[in-house]
Amino acid sequence: MGKKRMISGWLVAVLAAGLLAGCGSQAGEGTAPAEDQGTNKEQAVNVYTARHYESDDKLFEMFTAKTGIKVNVVKGKAEELIERLKREGESTEADLFITVDGGVLNTAKEAGVLQPIQSEAVDQRVPKQLRDKDNQWVGISTRARVIVYSKERVKPEQLSTYEDLATDKWKGKVLVRSSTSLYNQSLLASFIELGGEQQAEEWAKGIVSNMARKPEGADRDQAKAIVAGVGDVAIMNTYYVGLLVNSKDPEEVKVGESIGVFFPNQQTTGTHINVSGVGLTKHSKNKENAVKLIEFLTDKEAQTLLTQANYEFPVNAEADMPELLKSWGEFKAQEIDFAALGTHNKKALEIFNKVGWK
Amino acid sequence: MNFFEIRDLSFRYQNAKEWTMQNFNLSISQGQIVGVLGRSGSGKSTLLRLIAGLEEPAGGTITIAGVAVVGQQKFVEPEERGVGMVFQDYALFPHITVSQNIVFGLHRLSRAERAKRLDEMLELVQLRGYERRYPHELSGGQQQRVALARALAPKPAILLMDEPFSNLDADLKGKIRQELKEILNRAKMTCIFVTHDNEDVDAICDRVVYMEAGG
Amino acid sequence: MYRQTFRRSFARIRNGWVALSLLGVAAVLLPNLYILLNLFHQPNENWQHIREYMLKDYVLQSLWLVLCTGICTVLIGVTLAWLVSAYDFPLKRFFRWALILPLAIPPYIAAYTYSTMFSYTGAIQKFFRYQLGMTVDQKYFDVMSVKGAVFIFTMFLFPYVYLITKAFLERQSAAYIESARLLGKNSLQIFFQVVLPISRSAIIGGVSLVVFEVLSDYGVTSYFGIPTFSTAIFQTWFGMYDLDSAVRLAALLMTGIIGLFLLEKLLRSRVKFHSSTSKTRPLKPIKLGGLSAAAAFLFCLAIFSCAFLIPFVQLVAWAKLSYQDVVNRTFIQLTFNTLSVAVIATVVIVVLAAVVANVSRIRESFFSEVAAKLIAMGYSIPGAVIAIGVLSVFISLDQQLSGLYSLLGWGEKKLVLSLSLVMLVFAYVIRFLAVGFNPIEAGFEKVGKQYYEASRMLGLGMTRTFFRVDLPMIRGAVLSASILAFVEITKELPLTLLLRPFNFETLATKTYQYANDEQIIEASIPSLLIIGISMISVLLFHRVGEEKQER
Repeated sequence: MGKKRMISGWLVAVLAAGLLAGCGSQAGEGTAPAEDQGTNKEQAVNVYTARHYESDDKLFEMFTAKTGIKVNVVKGKAEELIERLKREGESTEADLFITVDGGVLNTAKEAGVLQPIQSEAVDQRVPKQLRDKDNQWVGISTRARVIVYSKERVKPEQLSTYEDLATDKWKGKVLVRSSTSLYNQSLLASFIELGGEQQAEEWAKGIVSNMARKPEGADRDQAKAIVAGVGDVAIMNTYYVGLLVNSKDPEEVKVGESIGVFFPNQQTTGTHINVSGVGLTKHSKNKENAVKLIEFLTDKEAQTLLTQANYEFPVNAEADMPELLKSWGEFKAQEIDFAALGTHNKKALEIFNKVGWK
Repeated sequence: MNFFEIRDLSFRYQNAKEWTMQNFNLSISQGQIVGVLGRSGSGKSTLLRLIAGLEEPAGGTITIAGVAVVGQQKFVEPEERGVGMVFQDYALFPHITVSQNIVFGLHRLSRAERAKRLDEMLELVQLRGYERRYPHELSGGQQQRVALARALAPKPAILLMDEPFSNLDADLKGKIRQELKEILNRAKMTCIFVTHDNEDVDAICDRVVYMEAGG
Repeated sequence: MYRQTFRRSFARIRNGWVALSLLGVAAVLLPNLYILLNLFHQPNENWQHIREYMLKDYVLQSLWLVLCTGICTVLIGVTLAWLVSAYDFPLKRFFRWALILPLAIPPYIAAYTYSTMFSYTGAIQKFFRYQLGMTVDQKYFDVMSVKGAVFIFTMFLFPYVYLITKAFLERQSAAYIESARLLGKNSLQIFFQVVLPISRSAIIGGVSLVVFEVLSDYGVTSYFGIPTFSTAIFQTWFGMYDLDSAVRLAALLMTGIIGLFLLEKLLRSRVKFHSSTSKTRPLKPIKLGGLSAAAAFLFCLAIFSCAFLIPFVQLVAWAKLSYQDVVNRTFIQLTFNTLSVAVIATVVIVVLAAVVANVSRIRESFFSEVAAKLIAMGYSIPGAVIAIGVLSVFISLDQQLSGLYSLLGWGEKKLVLSLSLVMLVFAYVIRFLAVGFNPIEAGFEKVGKQYYEASRMLGLGMTRTFFRVDLPMIRGAVLSASILAFVEITKELPLTLLLRPFNFETLATKTYQYANDEQIIEASIPSLLIIGISMISVLLFHRVGEEKQER
């Protein structure tokens, strides 16, 4: 009898374990990516991306239609994906890493998970300042972090520079989101690069004392707050203005139309821009396909689609920008090494904490 | 060697400083009904749980029908001891009927044997006609008889009863005591019967054991 | 004498139940241990800064948030549970299950929805602006504040308290409440003197889920710009690129949680009562009349509207704006992915939870007590941090197994497990075991050990007893466990984001894709699908529960 009981106990254990394993393998089969090891089976390229835009999915579909190369995607947060690449090491299945923010791209480079991209086509299409100096990553689009203002209460002539927003003139009128946003961290990092820590800290302090309210919400919410009369000026990214003006919600369109876009620091250091880019992983198993995809992403057709759908600035000058972007005209951008955004990020965060920019 | 024997049994609850029981001895011959009397907290119920295998003693031996169930390196699980037990609040399974409760312990018998045994048990405790009821549809006295039938059905070597009358009305008690005595005699059951009521003992038991805390 | 007991118990560990629960606990603890071990590393140079500028503020803010949300959820959850189980009033039968529905809406979606609704372009301000011609002060519409976060968390997490307390009151409290009524106590007295104290265990069980959910939240607080402990973890990782310090912070959080567990244990163990007889009658509700009926109805309606109806209607309105652009065939695939992975993980969670809970109640040893608590720890830790723990374990597992893979003829592929759904399911299990474990443990606690013992006395072993006695008696608890775990997994985001295999999208990741880009209108459709799936499961759950009661 004793034996029988023990056996039945074990049976439960084995059953449960079997269930676990069974479920796992069954589910795994359907989704495991690349049995296609770049040999003569199905061609594929595996992408880790931190960009969550619909337009990117469309681009990958177009690429597959054009070349027959399948694009397998894992989306996630950039830092998590870098960590995953690091941990997977040589065994990684990922070929490309795509993310927003030059600082993060540089972090990936520093982490040693990327390798130089060799493609003349890409070198021709993408200007040098939008590529890593060792070509470990290549830009695919840019956005500017600008000043938007209430067309009703502010004249563009009153605006000049980011530094100006930190003066008493704008007390209680500045809107900006929380310092947890990478966009703000990179903005401050660029100031550290241009004018040093001291100056950057003073700027942040000035902004904090000018804030119309405690930082809350995302970029779009700052625009809405302007129209609602909470504040007069806000710091936000250009493409959000494009998305507002083209929103499905008529009320948002109104918001988009009642704010103006101002590119600051035109006489001085230039407007802060940031870059989305793609890097080739160090241990890529489908390198040829990966480079093909990079070339595709930077060609005229893809670049046009990207800017039309998302209101980002293209990196390829041949691309056709939407009217709204054209209407803003040419502007002078900051001339800094994007790597600096990464290296100063920690310092920027420390400054935000110190001056109480929540 | 007696039919049932406890030697030097010691026990204390986890994290308890005091011994609930120390070097306890008891022997019973077959067919005897032994009453265990004592105040609450004297370890009466613990004694039954130790015999049943629901608690593990710190030391000592227990032998049931000549088989050692607790010994030096031995601990027989409760389901293999052949011990029947009537719990204080009966613990009838609320999700199954009276007859399902009674045959619950007969899973080793064939279907026909099971039906036969059920029939015998219903006869013994006089509960014919109640087979399809659920426990909560019965009176306290009826529940007690179901519990008894359930415990006796697998023909245990020894029956343990933990204050079986504590949930019954006073005027019922006299009658039920008599019935119980008859049932046990008819089944020739060896029985240990825990109570705090002298009248129970007088009416039913052949022998009495008194228990005191720690002893 | 002790050696004798020890040797005997060692022999009994060969029991499959104990073995399986040990295995489960070990597997679940591994990634947690990985995180905890970090506490013993030397802190790096960033730690000074973190301590100085982040720790105190963020910890206080988190505690404040947890405290407020905890109190509010208890007030609302227990009051509703009491109203619904002890009284009859209009639409009560509807509210009984409808009040669970808020669980179907993930707090991050609710946060986006409410803040957009109350924003300048939202329906409410538009109403004031155009219909009433009023210009309103924005500060009255400020959802994105600590108050707003407490509101969101309360509205969308109170069902945990409601659900567990209601189940307890309906099935277990009849004797106490009826005797209090007979003793001439009025409703208020009964509520404070009887209901609150006797349902303490249930309330603590429910509110601890709420607390863990709030502590591990990142979606709501980061969107509202409220600095909490989770924010500190992510700031450190994403902002300072210092994963070590981030994990260290997580380890600190974990230590705090273990403290909370011990506290809960202490609070609960002293009131460990199960009903003293096998006769538990359901509580018979009293019919309310006139004003009190209206008040009860209005209260339920108000909560139901805020916690479900309003955001739901808003999402539907948005869905109408966007369905043409968003809906396509891929949504069928998304729904299928979401369902299948949630079902698999739920089954694993419930089986494991039942095994561990069963072992821990039968063997009341120190080990099983502690293990049973630790196993639930994953619930309190931000998903992204667990993700790193799980990832590390799986990648090293893959490296260990690479020999086997080539034996199986899979070529040079090195990552198999960590690129399959196994990793994601495993992570779900770690994260949500508590959700499944708590109701099952409470179910066992409610039933008590007597039936188990009776069955063992009748010659049935542990396994047979489990299937013939325990399982039927805790069926309700198992169902609650499955449903809660299933709904949680359907909503889960951070783990899914990082640990999914290639091309594996769920409804939650799709929602995130839109919401992250501030396209809340486009996000409405996947959100509604999540809510729909959760709603269906809640309804099923309710029906099975009713059937059981009628029998």
